[in-house]
Amino acid sequence: MKNNQRRDFLKVLGWSGASATVGACGYTSIDSGVETVKSYVNPEDFNIPGVAVYYASTCQQCDAFCGIVGRVRDGRVLKLEGNVESGLSGGKLCGLGQAGVQHHYNPDRLRKPMLRKDGSLQEVSWNDAMLALHKRSAATKDGRFAFLTGPVSGHFKVLVGNATESFGAGSQHYVYDPLATRINRAAAEQVLGSDVPRLALDQASLIVSFGADFLDTWVSPVHFAGQYARFRKASDSRPRGTLVQIEPRMTLTGANADRWVPIRPGTEGVLALGLANALLAGKLPAGGAVPPALATAATAFDKARVLAETGIKEEAFDRVVQLLRERTPSLVLSGPSAEGHAHGYSNAQAILALNWVLGNVGKTIFPPAKLPFPQIAPDSGDTASLGKLTDAMASGKVDAVFVHDLNPVFTAPSFVKFREAFAKVGFKAVFAQYLDETAREADLVLPLDSAMEGWGTHVAAYQPQGVEMTVQQPLMERLYPDTRGAGDILVELLKLRRPADYKTFGDYYAYLRAALGANRTAFSNVPADEEQFWTEALSHGVLHVNTAETKVAAKPGAVELDFAGASQAVDARFPYALAPVVRASLRDGRHANLPWMQETPDALTTIVWDSWAEVHPKTAEKLGIKDGDELEIASANGSCKVQAYIFPGIHPDVIGIPVGQGHETLGRYADGRGVNTFRLLDPVFDRKTGELALYSTRVGVKPTGSRRVLVKDEGWKSGNVKTQSGRKLVVTLSADKAKLSEEV
Amino acid sequence: MKTRIFGGHADRMGLVQVPGGWLLRLLVAMILGLVVGLAFAGDKVEQPIEFPHDIHAGKMGINCMYCHTYARRSRVSGIPPLRKCINCHQNIESVKDKPRIKKLFEYWEKQEAIPFKKVHDLPDFVRFSHERHIQRFYFELGRPVQEVCGYCHGNVSSMTVDEKVEPITMGWCISCHQKDHPNPTNPADLVGMKSVYPRMNIADAPAQGTAANTSHGPNDCWQCHK
Repeated sequence: MKNNQRRDFLKVLGWSGASATVGACGYTSIDSGVETVKSYVNPEDFNIPGVAVYYASTCQQCDAFCGIVGRVRDGRVLKLEGNVESGLSGGKLCGLGQAGVQHHYNPDRLRKPMLRKDGSLQEVSWNDAMLALHKRSAATKDGRFAFLTGPVSGHFKVLVGNATESFGAGSQHYVYDPLATRINRAAAEQVLGSDVPRLALDQASLIVSFGADFLDTWVSPVHFAGQYARFRKASDSRPRGTLVQIEPRMTLTGANADRWVPIRPGTEGVLALGLANALLAGKLPAGGAVPPALATAATAFDKARVLAETGIKEEAFDRVVQLLRERTPSLVLSGPSAEGHAHGYSNAQAILALNWVLGNVGKTIFPPAKLPFPQIAPDSGDTASLGKLTDAMASGKVDAVFVHDLNPVFTAPSFVKFREAFAKVGFKAVFAQYLDETAREADLVLPLDSAMEGWGTHVAAYQPQGVEMTVQQPLMERLYPDTRGAGDILVELLKLRRPADYKTFGDYYAYLRAALGANRTAFSNVPADEEQFWTEALSHGVLHVNTAETKVAAKPGAVELDFAGASQAVDARFPYALAPVVRASLRDGRHANLPWMQETPDALTTIVWDSWAEVHPKTAEKLGIKDGDELEIASANGSCKVQAYIFPGIHPDVIGIPVGQGHETLGRYADGRGVNTFRLLDPVFDRKTGELALYSTRVGVKPTGSRRVLVKDEGWKSGNVKTQSGRKLVVTLSADKAKLSEEV
Repeated sequence: MKTRIFGGHADRMGLVQVPGGWLLRLLVAMILGLVVGLAFAGDKVEQPIEFPHDIHAGKMGINCMYCHTYARRSRVSGIPPLRKCINCHQNIESVKDKPRIKKLFEYWEKQEAIPFKKVHDLPDFVRFSHERHIQRFYFELGRPVQEVCGYCHGNVSSMTVDEKVEPITMGWCISCHQKDHPNPTNPADLVGMKSVYPRMNIADAPAQGTAANTSHGPNDCWQCHK
C-alpha cells in the first residue's frame, strides 16, 4: 500500500503541475492579453456592462405590428419578446417576430448607397446618393411620379403622402401587399358593416373557418392564438370550444381543428349558401337576422346540389349544420383560399353572412373602434395596385418611381411583366435592406436601417380593443454608419420640396416627437408635460388613442352574390388547382434570408430549406409519383421543377406549393433555393375588387424522371402515420372507421 | 479513491507518461513546477496606457470598486468609463503634464475609449458572476476589499498594469468552491447571506448553526456552465 500511495501522490503532483504548465503554454481556453475590452466613454447611469435593459418597440415582420420589447446588453440588442402592454401581442411573440434580430445582424445587409453609373450599380457616399435623389426628383415633371410601398400607417404614411403630393397632382402612392386580404375586407365592409371587425374567438363555442389560418398567417396570429387558448378552455359558462376548418389544403389552424373538411377549391360559397339553406329551414338562434337577398339566393342550394358541387361528405355537412345550430355563439370566418377566385367576393359574403343568421354579430363580432385621424389610419394595400402601377409604367406615364420595403420583381406573377415596365421608368429609387431582385434593377439604391435601428409609429389594421398606436424606437445604435431610416430620407426630401412645412425638423425623430407631442391630448392616460409624455411613450411602447364608442350594426348589409362562371370547364392540359401556400416563416418571401426561418421545419410537412409540391396520396398513385420525385408543374403562364411530397392534408385535385422561396438575389441563405410560386399565377381577378385571385391558377403535373432527397424532420417516410417504426407513437384510426359524429 | 481517479486520468491522457521509476517522475514533476513558477512570473500584458494600480490602489488606497464599479452589480467588474478617470484628473494639477496623463486626455478629446487588453479572459462557455462573489465576501462576510479582489487578481496594489498571477483554471476555481466553511452560528450573520441560503432561518433550525455544520460553494456543473 505504501508504494501505491507514493505513486498516487506523485501522479497527483504531476497532474496539477502539468495543468499549470499547460495553462502557461496556452493550451487552455483562458486567454490573457488577446482580446480588447473597451469601456464606455461617458455612459448614462443605468448602463451597467453585463446587465440587460429592455426597450419597447414594434415588430415589423408582418402587418400585425405586435408590440415588442428588445433585451439590450452592452449596447447590443440580443433577443425580442412581446410587450405585455401591447393588446395585440399580449406579451407574446411568434417565431417570425423573434427572427427580427436576424434582419438586423444579417451579413447580406446593404451597407452603402449605390448609384447606377455606366450601366452598373456602384457604391457611393450618402451625400452623392442624396444629391442624385434630389437632382432626379427636381427634374421630374408634375404628376409623373409614383411611390410604391407596402402597408403603411402612422406618421410614415403622412410623410409618404406628402412626398407624393409634392410631385404634383396625378402622382400616386400605390400600396401593394402580395398577400393582401382586400377581398375579405370588402366583403366584411359590405356584410358586417366594417372592413376589419373586432373578433372575440374566446367568446365563441364554435368556430367554423373557411380557410382563415388565424393561428399561423391570417391577420394577427399572435393575438388570435392567445384568444384561441381561452376558446379551448372550458368554463362554467361555456363548453370547450370546437373548431371546424373547411379548406382545400390543410393549414396549421386546420391541423388543430376538431373537424377538417377538405373542399373542392372555389366552392366555399356554395357550401356557405347550403348551410344557410339548412339553417333557414329551422329555427334561427337567438339574435339571428337574415341579410337581404340571402334567403332568396340560398333556396337554389339544396343539400344534394351542395354535396355534388363541393365534394364534401353528407355526414360532414349534416354535422356542421347541427353544430352551427347547437353551439352558440359561434364565429364563421372567411380566408384566402375561399376568396382567391373570380367570385371570391361572393364566396366571402356568403360565408360572413352566416354570422348574421347565427346571431354572432354583437356576441363574437364587433365593430372596431374608430380612429379619429384618417391620415395615420392603416392602409393595408391590395394586389390590384401592382397592376395599376405596371400599366402606368408600361404606358410611359411614370418618369420617377420610389419603391419602399417591397420586392415586386420577385412577387409579381410572370403575366404582369412588372420588370419590363419597371425598366421603362427613367429614374427608379429603391429603399431596401438587401440588394434584392427589385433593388438590382434600380438606378439608386438607398440602404435602410433595420427595424431595430429606426423610429416610427404604427397603427395595426386589426385592433383588439380601442385603437393602439405602437411606437418604434432604436434598440441599439446603427450597425453600419451609412444606412438611414426611410423616415429620415423622406424628411430630407420634404425639406427641399415643401420647406414651409418641414424645414424646422432636423430629422424623422424630431418630426415624430413634435407631431406626437403636439397631439398628446388625443391619447388617454398620458402626462400633460411633453418631456414626461415622450419618456413614457417610449418606455411603455404603446399609446392608446381616445376613441368614441362604436355601436354594433343593427341590421345586416345586403349580400350581392355573383357566381357566374364559377364552375367552368377545366382545360385538360391543366387538370389540377394550384394552392400557393403561405408559410408564416417566409410570408411573401422577404424573410427567406433569415436562417432561423429556413431552419424552422414547415408546420405541416416538416420540410426545411426548400420548396415542395404537395400531392394527395390518391393523386400520387394515379400519376405514379413517389415522395421526392421531381415534378414539372406548369400553368399557362409559368412553370417550375419541384420535388413531390405525398400529403394527405390536401384535396386530391389540388397541388400545394409554398410561396417565398426561389430567390435569385436576396442573400446567401435564400438564393438558388426552391421555386418562386408567384411566377406561375394565372391572370384571374376577383370581379368586384379587381384583386388577383390567388387560388385560381390551374396547373399540369408531369414527373421529370429525376429524384431528389427531401430534407424533412419527420423521417424518411412522409404522410403515412402508419409508419411509426413499429411503435404506437400516435394512435390513429382511419376516417372511414371512426364515428366522427360521436367524437365531435 | 480520489487519488485513484487522478492516477487513471493522467495515464489515459498520457501527460505524465514518463517511463522509468518514481524518482524520475518526481524530477519531472519538480521541473514542471519550476516552469510553472517561471511562467507566471512577470506575465505583464502591454497596455495602451500603463495604468499604475500601485499609485491609485496602493499609495492612495482607493477602493477597487471606486473605479471597477460594476463588480457589485454585474457579471463583469468593468473597465471604468473614461469619464471616471477624467473626473479626478481634470482637477489634479500636479500630474497634468505627465506623459500618461497627456495620453489620457488625448483619448478624452477624441471621445474615444482606451483599447485595453483583457488580462483575465475566461472563455465564453464559463459564466462567472462578479456580483455573486463580491456580495458574498465583501458585503456579507465583510472581508477587506483588497483581500476579496486579491484572492483571484493577486496583489494588484503592487502592480502597475494588471497581471494574471493566478491560473483561474477550472480546477483552481473548484479548489475554492470545495473548501468547507462552517455555517454562521450567530443568526445575525445569516441575515446578509439570505441570497446564499434563501430558505434558511437559523432561529427556526438551530441545528444548522453548530460549528460542525459546514457548507461550500457550488459544485454543480450548470452553475458556471449555463
